[in-house]
Amino acid sequence: MPIFAQTTGMWQQAGLAALIMVGLGTGFALVLLIASIKLKVQVDAKIEQVYEVLPKIDCGACGFAGCSSYAKAVVSDPELLGRCAPGGSETANKIAAILSLSAGASSVPARAVVHCRSHTKDKEFYATYTGIPSCTAANAVANVQACKFGCLGFGDCVQACKFDALHVIDGLATVDYDKCTGCTACVKACPRNLIEMVPFTQEKMMVVACRSRESGKVTRSMCAVGCIGCGLCVKQTDLFSVDDNLARMAYDRYEPGPACETAMEKCPTGVIVYRGKNALPPRPAGEKPQAAKV
Amino acid sequence: METVQVLLLAFVSIVIVNNLVFTKFLGICPYLGVSGRLDMAFGMGCAVTFVVTLAGIMTWMINNWVLATLHLEVMKYVCFILVIAGAVQLVEMYLRKFFPTLYESFGIFLPLITTNCAILGLCLFIDLWGIKSLLEATVLSFGAGIGFTMAICIMAGIRENLQLADVPDCLRGAPITLITAGLLTLAFMGFAGMIG
Repeated sequence: MPIFAQTTGMWQQAGLAALIMVGLGTGFALVLLIASIKLKVQVDAKIEQVYEVLPKIDCGACGFAGCSSYAKAVVSDPELLGRCAPGGSETANKIAAILSLSAGASSVPARAVVHCRSHTKDKEFYATYTGIPSCTAANAVANVQACKFGCLGFGDCVQACKFDALHVIDGLATVDYDKCTGCTACVKACPRNLIEMVPFTQEKMMVVACRSRESGKVTRSMCAVGCIGCGLCVKQTDLFSVDDNLARMAYDRYEPGPACETAMEKCPTGVIVYRGKNALPPRPAGEKPQAAKV
Repeated sequence: METVQVLLLAFVSIVIVNNLVFTKFLGICPYLGVSGRLDMAFGMGCAVTFVVTLAGIMTWMINNWVLATLHLEVMKYVCFILVIAGAVQLVEMYLRKFFPTLYESFGIFLPLITTNCAILGLCLFIDLWGIKSLLEATVLSFGAGIGFTMAICIMAGIRENLQLADVPDCLRGAPITLITAGLLTLAFMGFAGMIG
């Protein structure tokens, strides 16, 4: 019966093959088992717990490479608590609970504010820039646009943002506050240091959307919506101060009242605007400020 | 001297003339996926070199000493995959213990080396070319890793510069990367036939 002989041979071969696979598999399993015992890495259970409550987006706002390295660092050094900007005070409290510490006063979320409100139509240009389309490259070129302080609009911050919270709209980087987590990636990306983290004590914050420290006359010649340092806002409320031809807002004692609203209305170039969720669109450039109500 | 010459030729052959990426189109996934930045590409190349050397030696031993003697060559695919998966696991544990920073920076790419077809391809090529000495198999495996590292580093260098290039909108991203890969392959075609 040759057919039976053939099948027997086949079964023998198959048995041998199975034996080899089992043998190899067991051999590797043993090697890996020994290796896993010999090369065991002691991991603190707290590190995993902390990692679990972190946002796991690896944004780097804490100064570490990612959430796992921050978790490791914060367990060994509780001083680093509260560095997680996207997680905010909620995450800080959770980590504190794991490490049996108290997180202290809850912090106010910081959000990115672009200190410029100049769209392409408001800007003055001496020439057309046709170089590498990146702010860092363009910033190295003199006279890429008239204003040395304003937004270049090539979107280095847009590329840096991992949350799709920044977009260049008509030549101006604009923050989408529904998406901004306050991770500070854009602050590092902007070569003109236009983006600043502002503590958002309220949904929308009044900001001076300009960084130009040129004199009023020069600023006016370069941009339709720049701060000319006239000081009208300072006369309304001491929350504002003018320094180097530029009005600034004191965020540490931010408390908007009617005086602030008046300052906003009186501002000749409309550079004081609201930024944040549901912020009203700013006054168009060139429109005369309304007469103060009596 | 004869052996040295053979080994040297084998090394140059696998690195430049028969480069797995450029001429065999193996390992294209990490070649295109991890070549965004030069440092990452170099790290990936090093990890692949390590695994491919280990896997090449071990599969040669299993193939020639176990499978060939038992006439079970049909089993080589399954066995090779087992060896590669085991080797990657071992490398991962070793790195985690002794080079934690390197382990962190590799992240997901380390376990993914298991599915890198350049490694399985090399093991099968060693068998196909009928390499009969363990030393030559070792040199070929190491050379394959070096060749992969070279390919991925060249690609990463070009792609870093492409970021600043004025690429037409329709070609941005994947298309220009594939065109670059094609041109690179064409360039390395020039070496074809130099060593048999």
